[in-house]
Amino acid sequence: MSFLEFKNVSKSFPGVKALNEINFSVQKGIVHVLIGENGAGKSTLIKILTGVTTPDEGSEIWIDGKNAHISSPVEALNQGIVAIYQDFSLFDNLSVQENIALGLQITKERKVINWKQLKEQAKVAMQKVRLEAKPDELVANISVAKKQLVAIARALVYDVKVLIMDEPTSCLSQGEVKQLFEIIRELKEDGITIIFVSHKMEEIFEVGDVVSVLRDGQYIGSYDKDSIMVDQLIELMVGRKIIYGTYQKRKFHKSLLKVENLTKRANFKNISFKLYKGEILGFTGLVGAGRTEMVQALFGLNKPDSGSICLHGEYISINSPVDAIRNKIGYVPENRLLEGLIQTQSIKRNLNIVILKELKKGLLLSNTAKDKSAKKWMEKLAIRPIIPEMLVGKLSGGNQQRVVIAKWLAAQPEILIVDEPTNGIDVGAKEEIHRLLRQLSESGMSIIVVSSELPEVISICDRILIMKNGKIVAEMGEDVTQEMILNKAVL
Amino acid sequence: MEKMKQFLKKKEMGILLILIITMVFITAGNSVFIRPDNIMDILSSNIVMGIAALGMLLIIITGGIDVSIGAIITAVTVVIGEFSTKVSGNLFAIILIACATGALLGLVNGLLVACLKLPAIVTTLGTMSIINGIILFVTNGKYIRNLPSSIAELGQQYLFKVSLPEGGFYGFPVIWLFWIGAIVLTWFVLKHTVIGRGIYAVGGNEESAQRIGYRSKRILTFSYVYAGIMAGLAGVVHTGIMRQVDPLAFKGFETQVIAAVVVGGANVLGGYGTVLGTTIGVLFMAVLSNGMVLMHISTFYQKIVIGIVILVAISIDVMQQTMKEKRMIKVDIKE
Repeated sequence: MSFLEFKNVSKSFPGVKALNEINFSVQKGIVHVLIGENGAGKSTLIKILTGVTTPDEGSEIWIDGKNAHISSPVEALNQGIVAIYQDFSLFDNLSVQENIALGLQITKERKVINWKQLKEQAKVAMQKVRLEAKPDELVANISVAKKQLVAIARALVYDVKVLIMDEPTSCLSQGEVKQLFEIIRELKEDGITIIFVSHKMEEIFEVGDVVSVLRDGQYIGSYDKDSIMVDQLIELMVGRKIIYGTYQKRKFHKSLLKVENLTKRANFKNISFKLYKGEILGFTGLVGAGRTEMVQALFGLNKPDSGSICLHGEYISINSPVDAIRNKIGYVPENRLLEGLIQTQSIKRNLNIVILKELKKGLLLSNTAKDKSAKKWMEKLAIRPIIPEMLVGKLSGGNQQRVVIAKWLAAQPEILIVDEPTNGIDVGAKEEIHRLLRQLSESGMSIIVVSSELPEVISICDRILIMKNGKIVAEMGEDVTQEMILNKAVL
Repeated sequence: MEKMKQFLKKKEMGILLILIITMVFITAGNSVFIRPDNIMDILSSNIVMGIAALGMLLIIITGGIDVSIGAIITAVTVVIGEFSTKVSGNLFAIILIACATGALLGLVNGLLVACLKLPAIVTTLGTMSIINGIILFVTNGKYIRNLPSSIAELGQQYLFKVSLPEGGFYGFPVIWLFWIGAIVLTWFVLKHTVIGRGIYAVGGNEESAQRIGYRSKRILTFSYVYAGIMAGLAGVVHTGIMRQVDPLAFKGFETQVIAAVVVGGANVLGGYGTVLGTTIGVLFMAVLSNGMVLMHISTFYQKIVIGIVILVAISIDVMQQTMKEKRMIKVDIKE
């Protein structure tokens, strides 16, 4: 019997259709898993279900045979739709009992708080999840594992019919995950329908009953756990088969950079690898696997706790970007709009910002040198139009990305780290960036590419390192496929 | 015993301790300080700040700030000056008009901050300038005098008045009731109403507050309106003490109010702050400035000392939080 039904649920944001006519139903009293890549529309769907976001006209959500008309969080909560969020969504400045039961006072539309009732409700919920803590302790003072229990207890104070869990295990240790699954099974026995959002295949198969896949805002299908295999699910999740130009995988011998046992608590652990001169080395894995944090450590933006970095056979320490630049390491960040470029300034200024020292004549900056250098790099990287005074914000995405890369090339790095090099630019421009990176490597530069886009990594990288939960779990080179990588990154 | 220990550990107790130590020092320097009439003077002359700080407390807990508070109080005093001399001298009508004026001006701040999502400091800087301009336009910068006795003598009224044989008297000033009333009301709102807990919730984590059903825009607006109402009461008390309306009386007042709230343990980033702490903060600032006058410390030094106190109060707060976070990391590793 279908209990919860999505009928033609759509959501448009300016310029993007986050959800496109989602239609599927969820049975009562089961764990229904929702999977999809980042940006597939899972969180938008959850926001609509919990009343935080209003869907487009014509979207309907039916519960127990009736149109639920969810238009606000209070309405969703009153109908028994409750969510537990990945970040717990708790109030550090309020007590445990208030975090758990304050919401009930709001949905019951009380004006004055009934403390006796609140304490009692909190106590009952705490017992249900076996949370041992002082009810009047501030949440700021309890451990992460207990915070998770507070988040669950908070959901249970409502008359829950549908419980949404958004990547609930991402901050938990193995033992805590077990305890969570125990609670999930108990809830299921009580007839509660659970929508479980997760990336982790082993969990999905352990706790889930039915799996629904979303991709690029579309509903792909729902599958019974016993009727589908992991690699089939992965294929459904990835879906698109974009093929980029294939480049020869090259072999190198001259080692340039050696990283040994680089560790940063809560970010990455025992990272060891070699980078050869002229090589393109790819790092991939799920978002949150620690890739960005790790490369930021190489650029002095994220100080590691232990481990060593060896460049040209000499141990070096990189405590700040200044150190990195001195060692001829460049970094093109993931978010070029926020971190990589100054949008409101000209192309020229953006291009010259790293090499101001070299453009100095005596105490002052030389204007002719600035112009010359800017023009040189704009021509070299084919940044169009060649107007050094133009504001960077007016350029297209592909051109902007070339400005960021050019900026670092001007500093003549030996190692260039590029994080998500083609994020948010169109396919044609992507190919050009790929070609550019390959050219740079031909000229002897070593490049580290961090990317979630598997076809991209497979196309341009000579070797690929796959990260998961902060560790390198596999190295691949010749004959690598998307499925091989996903199997390692997800399983 | 356990409860007692917890009580003593609270931030407010730390500030209280500092307040007592300061009082001991000042008394050692000049024993006039501890005389009952001086203490009563300190209390009476800081009621306006005490009431205004309660309103500011709500705003600061939400993570906002209101630098227009001095301008709002001035506007209130001008309105009740005009109202009482031209329309009616009824004290209840005056109080009502005062609170309504404050609430209206607070509403403007609240709507701008909540609905247009303007940064509070910029918004209230703007409204401060506008309100001050209108006040000068209306009053021409002139005092309003000859107020009716209902308001003009409010500051001289006492309950339980006992005359002393050697002349003079003791009694309970009526204006203290305004402060006590405002303290009780604010404590009740913050501690026992759903919207009051919502102020903490929004200040702690706005998105989470929305998820459990709070409408953060309403809560933000409410806190500014409430501060306006407190400004209304403060305006009545001020006029009752001064017996006239001075359109420039509150220049720079907002700094003192914000300082008192912050010294009283409220977090300028939002989420934390109590009525008890704020009130102790007000008393501390009051005692400090009175004490410096009694010890003949020049006005320049007084300003410097107050500045240092504010900075020290904020840095202690921040350092405590950093240390707590470090301890938490260790706890997590151990488990």
